[in-house]
Amino acid sequence: MVETGKTTQEFEIRDYLRTELMPHFMCPGCGHGIALRALLWAIHDLGIAKDNLAVVSGIGCSGRTAAYIDANTIHTTHGRPLSFATGLKLARPDLHVVVITGDGDSLAIGGNHLIHACRRNLDITCVLLNNEVYGMTGGQVSPTTSAGRYTTTTPAGNHEPVFDACELATAAGASFVGREITMHVTALRDLFVQGLKHSGFSFIEVISDCTEIYGRKNELGNSPEMVMSHKADIRPESYGNVVDEPFRPTDLNVGVLSQTDRPEYYTAYRQHFGKQVEGNDDPKKGGAVT
Amino acid sequence: MTRQGVIAPVEMANTAPTNVLVVGVGGQGVIMISKAVARLCQENGLEVKQSEVHGMAKRGGSVFSHIRFGQEVKSPLIPQGEADILLAMEWAEGLRWLPYLNPERGIFIADTQRIVPPFSCRDRNRGAESGYINTSVQELVEKVPNAFAMDATSVATELGNARAANTVLLGALSTALEFSQEEWHRVIAEAVPPKTVGVNKEAFVKGRHWVESGETATDFSSDNVISLKEPRESRLEITQAWCKGCDICVKMCPERCLQLDQHQIVQLIDEKRCTGCRLCEWLCPDFAISVEAK
Repeated sequence: MVETGKTTQEFEIRDYLRTELMPHFMCPGCGHGIALRALLWAIHDLGIAKDNLAVVSGIGCSGRTAAYIDANTIHTTHGRPLSFATGLKLARPDLHVVVITGDGDSLAIGGNHLIHACRRNLDITCVLLNNEVYGMTGGQVSPTTSAGRYTTTTPAGNHEPVFDACELATAAGASFVGREITMHVTALRDLFVQGLKHSGFSFIEVISDCTEIYGRKNELGNSPEMVMSHKADIRPESYGNVVDEPFRPTDLNVGVLSQTDRPEYYTAYRQHFGKQVEGNDDPKKGGAVT
Repeated sequence: MTRQGVIAPVEMANTAPTNVLVVGVGGQGVIMISKAVARLCQENGLEVKQSEVHGMAKRGGSVFSHIRFGQEVKSPLIPQGEADILLAMEWAEGLRWLPYLNPERGIFIADTQRIVPPFSCRDRNRGAESGYINTSVQELVEKVPNAFAMDATSVATELGNARAANTVLLGALSTALEFSQEEWHRVIAEAVPPKTVGVNKEAFVKGRHWVESGETATDFSSDNVISLKEPRESRLEITQAWCKGCDICVKMCPERCLQLDQHQIVQLIDEKRCTGCRLCEWLCPDFAISVEAK
């Protein structure tokens, strides 16, 4: 983990945005903007310099958010931001690598990459912005679309069971798994702070919302109602973190859901190939540029 | 602290029951005190009826407990104006229950500690007046003949455990009932957690001595009352070009001081109402609002 310096300066989001690209392309009331603020806030609170931050994103509304961050950003192919990030982190372990991905990006098309990134436990922070739909391509059904919800490809309502992304990541071996809703901005920021501090793969699911395409079709109300509605989905704390019915929209567990102390991939890699890597900066021969 | 002579014990030989009303705030030990009193009376062969409301009070809410004992007790509730002793662990709670105190011979024992609930001030602006009752000890003493107000919480804090304030007050109460100090010590030891028996005994003795010794003390200060003197100015800056009129800030603003104009762009309609809570800034997905709190 890279050392971070504490900052006392007040957070001003414009310092972290490419203001020439603003206003961003996202629809009015899109939850991704709130999640982006929380992420940048956490980065500010940890005192991570913009030059030491690399944000990797895939395709989709979530993927587009990275473009507005004034840091090192890569906009990669659909479903593969984690693969790019893995390569980046191994080549430049001094960087804080954050992956911003969406439910379609990382659970459908990039599902394989997600579980293997979790399994490897490389020190990456993966932010999954879950809005239950493929928003950018016109509102197709995604692996997290709740039962009965209408999308352009499920005109009679979705009948498929959904993925619980956090359960999936925990099972695949992610050492830090958390979930929060966009309404809880400060809690979301604190979760990001914990995830960024964690050494190992940290997976954070943000329950975001798609007002224009998903909300309108399902009559979920306007932006304020949609943002507030997730509060009602949260599972009461007294129920504990036992997931017996892993289907949304009710019984949503929030906060840090699991945190384990597994060996971080890069550290383990250096130990395993220590002799070969020592004094060897040729990546083709198993060395790494440090 | 203020006092008016030593407490004259309540006559328990009468056929009418003796009424003790214990009031306070959730978490202060109202129920513990009333259990101790009730048990002691029961062990002395008196008929005791105790009834309390605690469930809905939660921590910080109003809690009260009626204790009635005597040769024969019929109803568990004390009628208005018939409480012989009113023991209040919080200043405003004591004043709230004053109508229950016997206006002629009722004994009022209260902690001058003020626990100001957040909702006593519904005006969220800086510098707003608190709605907490401002009756001072002197004003109360003029109204109630047998008033004993002491800073029991500070006494207990000096002993090392602020939560023993209720036992300090019980010590003061004990002088009004004809039971021996040893009996009191025994019931307290049974009622409190084993680790705190020592400090509770000390607290009890302090409370009892305070009544018996007649030492003079000062009125409670207003130090512990939160006052927001300086009005805070906040400046709300709206980047109109970035606003998409999603309505989130308008609906989320607790003061309702934002509005969408005819172009569906947010505008501040009342600068004075803005308290600088920053909810609009945090929840704006388009980063169009920034609040600068001074």
